[in-house]
Amino acid sequence: MKTLFQTSLKLAAIMLLLIGGAAITAHAQGARLQIDQLDSLANKASETVDVKLDEHLMLTAAKIFSEKEDADIKEILKGLKGIYVKSFEFEKEGQYSTADVESVMFQLRGGGWSKIVGVTSKKDGDNVEVYLMMQGDQIQGLAVISAEPKEFTVVNIVGPVNLEKLSKLEGQFGVPDLGLDQPKPKKSK
Amino acid sequence: MKTKLAITGLIIATIFFAPLTSTLARGDDFDAVVRAIEQFYHVKHQSLPLLARAGMKGARTVARIKGGDYKRIADAGSVRLVFFEDQEFNSHGRIAGFKASIQNSLNETWSPLIATLSAKDEEQTYIYIREAGPKFHVLVVTIERREATVVEATVAPDVLAMLMKDPGDMGKTLTDDAALNEAETRP
Repeated sequence: MKTLFQTSLKLAAIMLLLIGGAAITAHAQGARLQIDQLDSLANKASETVDVKLDEHLMLTAAKIFSEKEDADIKEILKGLKGIYVKSFEFEKEGQYSTADVESVMFQLRGGGWSKIVGVTSKKDGDNVEVYLMMQGDQIQGLAVISAEPKEFTVVNIVGPVNLEKLSKLEGQFGVPDLGLDQPKPKKSK
Repeated sequence: MKTKLAITGLIIATIFFAPLTSTLARGDDFDAVVRAIEQFYHVKHQSLPLLARAGMKGARTVARIKGGDYKRIADAGSVRLVFFEDQEFNSHGRIAGFKASIQNSLNETWSPLIATLSAKDEEQTYIYIREAGPKFHVLVVTIERREATVVEATVAPDVLAMLMKDPGDMGKTLTDDAALNEAETRP
């Protein structure tokens, strides 16, 4: 009887772990934006960059980078579930529609996403928005939408993102310059 | 008893046929990509004599990249290369359609890393990666207005780490290396 009870207890613990793990995975998956519908913009764009570092590649990257030389990168990549970038540059204005932008933006309304930065320039027509998905006090995903008259870029990072170290990813793995450089402390006289 | 026998049979079959399946899949994917290019652009891949010139070009580029101290990127004997020269690669405004056909020609073991497209200049680069035991297969497709290359190579993890830091240059570096490798190994 005792053995049966212990077995049931173990099974219950395993079930709880599985359910908990599945919930965390589901939340992290929730931070992945569906952006493949933008692919047809490549027909009109003068330059298109499409970066897909999915979970499998992230695990690979975390394994292959050296502990010594690439310690910073390795730490940033640790736990990340994916980096996805789609960037389109056009020769003329009006080559992408509000429907294209909306196809991404609607996913960021609700679903745990919060806008942390929004910059709109009426003069230049630039519009940059940064969203975070939080779980407790941990970031589960980041999205940057940059819509300019001749350029449209979406960056989606899935998994626990360290904002302080994120700037080190700029220019690497195809991640564009997001202007995330930390301000340097002023020297005291 | 029958179940045990069936399971044993299945395990034995897996052990014997898995490497064969893997080998076939490797060949299929490379060939499928070449076929996808030929069908989409109505072009034909070319072989040997032209590769020597590509190799010379590659050697110069790689030497320049490496500051004169050349180190082979791909594992010896692992490179497969197909070259298209002096043919027209015009997507007629459907460059996104070609991207989809390349994706569809590969099985799910390949992870897409980066795709860069320039509809105006008809320039495209696609890089796919998959694990191959302790190493990695890298597949690079490069299309320009008048020429194209398809390269598949096996690289060591440290080489892949180096290449992944700058995926934009990864395609060119690997293609040049493959062209040089091909030129050196051909009589």
